Amino acid sequence: MLSLFPVKDYALIAVILGMPLLGAFVNGIWGRRLGKPAVKMMALAAVGVSFLAAVCTFIALAQAVSDDRDARLSWTAWEWMHTTGRDATNVPVELKFSIDQLSGVMMLIVTGVGFLIHLYATSYMAEDKGYARFFAYMNLFIFSMLVLILGDNLVVLFVGWEGVGLCSYLLIGFWYDKTANAAAGKKAFIANRVGDFGLICAMFLLVQYTGALDWHGIANGAASLVDPSDFARVHVWPLSRGEYTGILSFLQPGYFQAHHVPFLQDHTPSAPVTISAATAVGLALLLGCTGKSAQIPLYVWLPDAMAGPTPVSALIHAATMVTAGVYLICRLCFVFVLSPFVMNVVAVVGVATAVLAATIALVQNDIKKVLAYSTVSQLGFMFLGVGVGAFAAGFFHVFTHAFFKACLFLGAGSVIHAMHARVHDDDQAQDIRNMGGLRKWLPLTHWTFFAATLAIIGFPFTSGFFSKDEILYRAFVDGTVNPLAGSSMLRHVGVYAPPPSLGVWLYGAAVFAATMTAFYMCRLYFLTFWGDFRGWTVGRPSLLAKQEAAHEPAHAEDHGDEDDEAVHEHHEDLATPGYPPHESPWQMTVPLVFLGAFSIFTGFLNPGLGVMTEKPMEHWLEPVFKAASDGAVVFRHGNDKVWAEHLEWPLTVGGIMAFLLGTLLAYWMYIARKGEPAERLAKAFPGLHQLVLDKWRVDELYEALPIGAVDSLAEASAAVDVALVDGFFARLTSLVVAASGTILRAFQTGVVHTYGAMMALGLAAVVWFLGMPHPKATIVDAGGGDYVIHAAPGVGYGYRWDGDGDGKPDTTDFGGETKLKVHLDPGKSTTVHLEVKNAFGLVKSAELHVERPAAPISSL
Amino acid sequence: MITVEHYVAVSALLFVIGGVGFLVRRNVLVTLMSIEVMLNAANLALVAFNRSRMAHAASQTYPGPSHTGQVFVFFIIAAEAAEVAVGLAIVLAMFRLRQTVRTDDADLLKN
Repeated sequence: MLSLFPVKDYALIAVILGMPLLGAFVNGIWGRRLGKPAVKMMALAAVGVSFLAAVCTFIALAQAVSDDRDARLSWTAWEWMHTTGRDATNVPVELKFSIDQLSGVMMLIVTGVGFLIHLYATSYMAEDKGYARFFAYMNLFIFSMLVLILGDNLVVLFVGWEGVGLCSYLLIGFWYDKTANAAAGKKAFIANRVGDFGLICAMFLLVQYTGALDWHGIANGAASLVDPSDFARVHVWPLSRGEYTGILSFLQPGYFQAHHVPFLQDHTPSAPVTISAATAVGLALLLGCTGKSAQIPLYVWLPDAMAGPTPVSALIHAATMVTAGVYLICRLCFVFVLSPFVMNVVAVVGVATAVLAATIALVQNDIKKVLAYSTVSQLGFMFLGVGVGAFAAGFFHVFTHAFFKACLFLGAGSVIHAMHARVHDDDQAQDIRNMGGLRKWLPLTHWTFFAATLAIIGFPFTSGFFSKDEILYRAFVDGTVNPLAGSSMLRHVGVYAPPPSLGVWLYGAAVFAATMTAFYMCRLYFLTFWGDFRGWTVGRPSLLAKQEAAHEPAHAEDHGDEDDEAVHEHHEDLATPGYPPHESPWQMTVPLVFLGAFSIFTGFLNPGLGVMTEKPMEHWLEPVFKAASDGAVVFRHGNDKVWAEHLEWPLTVGGIMAFLLGTLLAYWMYIARKGEPAERLAKAFPGLHQLVLDKWRVDELYEALPIGAVDSLAEASAAVDVALVDGFFARLTSLVVAASGTILRAFQTGVVHTYGAMMALGLAAVVWFLGMPHPKATIVDAGGGDYVIHAAPGVGYGYRWDGDGDGKPDTTDFGGETKLKVHLDPGKSTTVHLEVKNAFGLVKSAELHVERPAAPISSL
Repeated sequence: MITVEHYVAVSALLFVIGGVGFLVRRNVLVTLMSIEVMLNAANLALVAFNRSRMAHAASQTYPGPSHTGQVFVFFIIAAEAAEVAVGLAIVLAMFRLRQTVRTDDADLLKN
């Protein structure tokens, strides 16, 4: 491979990127005419070829890094643009793609899982009218995601970042004729816009402080982000180093102290507040990541995004796109570690999201909503991992989560598909209260769902067990320190110190979230696959076979009500016996089997607890994170490595206890006692239950505060628009136009002769202008007191100058001299006369005043 | 001896006659003819200047005689012919529509 495609010009990347784009193009433009089989072939071939190329690339990458651990395969399409950094440095922005260990793994996940989900969707969406549109969007998503992953600089990444956001929006609102779906798509888009604002700000700051936007350049210039000198500090208060006077002078530091304002004088800083550029960049990047990866405060869009088709939920809103935030943090880990404060914020945001989302998932009844909150919660775990500096552990959870969550969503899709046979209402078909006992009829779906559930709840030695336990362990023992703390303190710049007991709190909260994870996933699993089927009455097989032979639905005869035949199509009476739910076709079950197997076994790519002497995944990713982690990521407890290693086994107990407790509680509640304790709990605390069922009413809070504020602003603007703009300016403009129209209308007689006369008048004016001489001149300062006067040229012009100021022309005849030189002493002035004679013998003269300013006194 | 000044004087006279005719007369056909007179005034001036310039060039070492003015006149005559064809067609159409060839009556766009 490497002989065909050299490391520095690895053009196979174009194939990986180009195939999905081609698929999107063909299906998007001609899809409706091609027909479903052709659309299917195009979409599958696009992602399939991309996956094969990705596998080849991965092998080539393995070869390349076996020679040089820091090697990366790169390909520059073209140079896109330039921008200007600090000190007028040139910052090139190239359309360049590169693959290193991190993006290589991501690329395999995106194309591999993407292909399985495409295969699944060919059957799942088979009956849909927008078949071609769906696959065009899906292929476009794969393309955008690959641009996001493979981009070599933040700008290209941002293009992919926006591209996946667009595809997410298009696919959430795929069934756009339902208002709720369209609203969910808008919500996702707008929530992501807030995050994108942060990402753009981060780009501006990086250009300003590091003078680069590509990964290599940012890494090289990262040290200037923590420069203790004043230029590298970002002023938070007063904002942007401003000077506030007059009515705004209270914004100046020390104002409250000087004026002895009660309370505020003791609780506001008296000196300017600054943060390091690293902290500013990190917080801005984090805002972007919380948007895309659905973390507090921007997580609210992801649960609503489940309005899209289930394969979309699996691909975009579980396996790939939502992990982009974690990917970005891993990618720019060398920026994040420079600010321990930001790292702690990342970890706290992660663990808070994990706990909050898990509590909501406990009580939801929609199968996809539970999985959605579970995704938010698992993303929180990933943020926790990268937030404590365990980038490899966090990313490994991305890897395993892609498999088991995709498997869970596709399994849910298979269940919904089966439910749709007789339950046609979307909400009812997804409600787990209508399911139950499905393991009898959907064996493959059941077993794969079971495998993925084992992984997510952390059953020992499954993939989720290894990845989650590593994060729990690391959260306890790892922490980050400012690598340049010493030099900062020497220069009297404050250095942030993390709270000493942070690790314990993070670990405790994460174990609590893991316990809830085990509980809600087992609740979901038991309610869906165990117990009795609650969807509709399942008839006896022998009876149903006879009905099929008669080609007549049994219930119509039973009721003896033939007129209702048409109504029954839509409001089927679920009490009448019918066929049991059916297993899905092979296109849907094969991806499930693959993903289920991966959910169980991929943990052994990075097993903790000394199962293997070396963790393959961590070893593979080491070159990406090593430079950043060295010196910045340390073990708590005084960087005691032995202490940390001794804790690995004891800390695993927390994870296993979480799994056991959650699982047993769910078993006791929903199998042993048939859900009776859950109902009793809900009755005992009706307010709390309703609050959690309403997702803690965070949406309502957002509706009231930020959205309400924007709404009031919009209403105020509308009032100004109606009163001032429409009421005054628009009327004034129209008045001016109408008045000038009235005047000009008088000239529009419509009589040819009037127009002819006007034309003749205009012609006469032009002739007069050309017939007159025009004595015009420009004065040029030639320096040293010399001034040159240039007369304007004209056809047949002759010139006569009076340069000595005696009032008489210097020469008697008109000559061709167009220039006159004048010398003046400082502070003096003179008047020059110019006479111009044209070919008709007409003469005109002009007075020109030339003045030299007085010399400045300092020149003595 | 008829000099170039004589020709230019005749040309100016023709141009003024044509211009006044264009502005004063209301008959479209006469208006068109006035335009023709003005164009021919320009033609006369062009030809006269060209001739005088060629006589001037023959007396001096000048790089060959030039017929630009005369050739220009042919182009103007061709353009005139085309203009008359279009103009007469418009007059005909107007006559069919309004039963008149007076320019005062061509005021459908007014009001």
